[in-house]
Amino acid sequence: MKVIHRTIVASAIALCMAPAVQAQELVVGFTRDADTLDPANHRNRETETIIRNIYDGILTRASDMQIHPEIAESYTQVSPTVYDFTIRSGITFHDGSSLTVEDVKFTLDRVILEGGMGDGQTSPRGSLLGPVESVEIVDDSTIRITLSEPWPLLPAMLPHQQIVSQAHVEEVGSAGMATQAMGAGPFRLADWRRGDSVILERFDDYYGGATGIPEAGPACVERVIFQVIPESASRVAALLSGDVHIINELPPHSMNQVENSPNAQVMTVNGTRSFFLAMNNEGDIFDDVRVRQAVAHAIDRDLIIDRILGGTATKIDGIMSPDAFGKNPDLPEYEFNPERSRELLAEAGYPDGISVTLDTEGALRDTAEAIASLMTNAGITTRVQVGEGTLLTQKWRTQGGEKEGDMYLTSWGNSTLDPFDIFVPTHRTNDRGNSAGYSNPELDALLDEAGAELDRERRGELYQQAEALVNAEVPYVYLWVPQDIYGVSTRLSNWSPSPDSRINLHRACLD
Amino acid sequence: MTFTRFLERLLQLIPVLLGVSVIVFVMMALTPGDPVQIMIGDQIVTPEQEAQMRRDLGLDRPVVERFFVFLGNALQFDFGQSFYHRRPVAEVILERLPATIELTVVAMLIALFTAIPLGVLAAVRKNSIFDRIATVGGLLGVSLPGFWFGILLLMLFAVHLNLLPVAGRINYGISQGITPYTHFLLIDTLLNGRFDAFRNALAHIILPAITLGLPMTAILMRVTRTAMLEVLRADYVTFAQAKGLSRQRILWRHALKNALIPTVSVAAIETGSLLGGNMIIETVFGWPGLGRLVVESIFVRNYPLVQAAVLLYAVIYVMLNFFADILYTILNPRVKL
Repeated sequence: MKVIHRTIVASAIALCMAPAVQAQELVVGFTRDADTLDPANHRNRETETIIRNIYDGILTRASDMQIHPEIAESYTQVSPTVYDFTIRSGITFHDGSSLTVEDVKFTLDRVILEGGMGDGQTSPRGSLLGPVESVEIVDDSTIRITLSEPWPLLPAMLPHQQIVSQAHVEEVGSAGMATQAMGAGPFRLADWRRGDSVILERFDDYYGGATGIPEAGPACVERVIFQVIPESASRVAALLSGDVHIINELPPHSMNQVENSPNAQVMTVNGTRSFFLAMNNEGDIFDDVRVRQAVAHAIDRDLIIDRILGGTATKIDGIMSPDAFGKNPDLPEYEFNPERSRELLAEAGYPDGISVTLDTEGALRDTAEAIASLMTNAGITTRVQVGEGTLLTQKWRTQGGEKEGDMYLTSWGNSTLDPFDIFVPTHRTNDRGNSAGYSNPELDALLDEAGAELDRERRGELYQQAEALVNAEVPYVYLWVPQDIYGVSTRLSNWSPSPDSRINLHRACLD
Repeated sequence: MTFTRFLERLLQLIPVLLGVSVIVFVMMALTPGDPVQIMIGDQIVTPEQEAQMRRDLGLDRPVVERFFVFLGNALQFDFGQSFYHRRPVAEVILERLPATIELTVVAMLIALFTAIPLGVLAAVRKNSIFDRIATVGGLLGVSLPGFWFGILLLMLFAVHLNLLPVAGRINYGISQGITPYTHFLLIDTLLNGRFDAFRNALAHIILPAITLGLPMTAILMRVTRTAMLEVLRADYVTFAQAKGLSRQRILWRHALKNALIPTVSVAAIETGSLLGGNMIIETVFGWPGLGRLVVESIFVRNYPLVQAAVLLYAVIYVMLNFFADILYTILNPRVKL
């Protein structure tokens, strides 16, 4: 009897203490608030990170960046400019209504059509769908997207568009969509305290998310809060004190502090932004490939990654991230060798070295100074000149216009991890991001061929060839891809960071 | 002060605001950086798409025309759409304003209620250990950078002692069911009779308010001390002592009232500067106020929002000075407005 009595008391105490009494609440210490909760009305990465827990897309990416059908069941490419998507049946929005092909067409039309948002407003996200010309309903379960020209990026770019309910948009209007989010994602909006937090609650009728990623079903945690904490030291404090469970943009200098804490750990993932040094290929000095090679040999990337970036970057020998599609894994490395630099300079007719100016913006000043001192040691006397970001892009990304200046330390983001989005703009003759002013008809032909190639494998091979070609010519010195660093509570499981900085909390659990 | 005098002061606001709007507009126009380019980032867009985005934001028109459109609309309290939030600027600002006002008022109260007694005590016990500690403390208070002091407080009270939260205004769970009558959480929680939520809101505001109010505390304490020392040397204080009034009565009733005159004007100006301090403190403590919104908006060249917010700051600043003047006449009847 006594034993039973004790057991009851013990269970009662255990019940009182059980965390089940409180809603299981996962808090993300996040750098920035959402600008809006309307998936069609923003141009901001953090906003998208939050929105994508409320809304699902036709396609999505897993944390390994592979593309998976989400609201779609499958998709096929009918011709270079036509794609068909089969939409799953049985998906419901948070208000209980069914998601139909009409909703999908409505969503995409809202983004691509001029004035598509209503009230004469055009979505700022239209350009993310490039040459999408029209969206048609083929039958009850099929949507056809037609492009005005071949665009291999379509599947990689579709995860950036989230499906809205036509009835809901018509009810609340585009202005209402900014605050009244209602999607088909794993969480529904509970409250948005502007500037403070976005509070989401589990959607119990969730269909389960992407096919091909295991463990479908409603989300694990009951509530998710994106708590805005812009200052990195405060985000770290919130993680260490247990107030939050995930923080983004953990500064490298705080990694030790987090690692040493018993209740938190560091997680890293290669980001999607490549850093490089553009040399003015049109100028008198850098039109000689030997001088460009001399620069490549002069920079000790390992040293800079170790000392300035806290070891949180991955070296690259071509423009693309090691995780990107079409990356050539066998590119030769220009190893750090200042003696070789001096020899190459002498061969190029500069036995006494050269003097150059290195442009960069304020945020990269430390890195630029380090590069300059390494180059100066190798006979390339370098002066760093800090400028304002947009003025520098105007000066360097001239798209064929005349270019002044010697070198430019800069970067290019590639959230699709597809060469089309980074290799082409930075290397094709007179393209948008071609800061080096590099022009090589052979490369242009390769890039154009790859852009129109339907066979994915063949397309990858073409980009690999192109990277090998560029590696020998070094129009840029390729530096590194920084890692995205997250601080994570040891209570968190089933979550890993994603290179596109998406924080998908569908499967994340807390113990 | 007569009503006409009051109206006159109010009318003086007009040239000030006009001047401020011209300056802000010109400064934003001259700041390098293009909102459309910042929005596009590295994405591939065609020139037509870029032109379309520019048209949508009204940036395709010449600067002078944009200024007069802005001015004309502002006169009707229409400040345009925020480029990023894609909602009316006034709406975005108004929803962030209560948090900033609440933080500023609490910081100011903390400053007043610590600085004045400390200043008086320091003056009364001139050159004592207490006075020296207060002097050094005051110096530190003025010179410590707010963001550093704030993070120090966070590491101590949030991480090591685990007593106070790091960011936000109130916990979501505890704030359920509170009707926002005023949007000032400390007041709303009390009006709803929710003491648990009040405690939670207080725990959230205390560290940012102390950090924000620290420089003001230090300055006010110095001012009060100096003013008090001067007043204590005055003939009427000697006379009051001779008359046999109690020391406490002389100090708090007679001396302090006169010593407060400079303190009040300094406090008004300092309250204005709290608005500037807000930008940093709100960032450190993740406080959802206007200061942080303005900083973020400057970085992305969100012209309409910055223009409207700076105008609002100017109005608040002018009004504060105006109220200080009124208070001044009450404290010191010799001064007429």
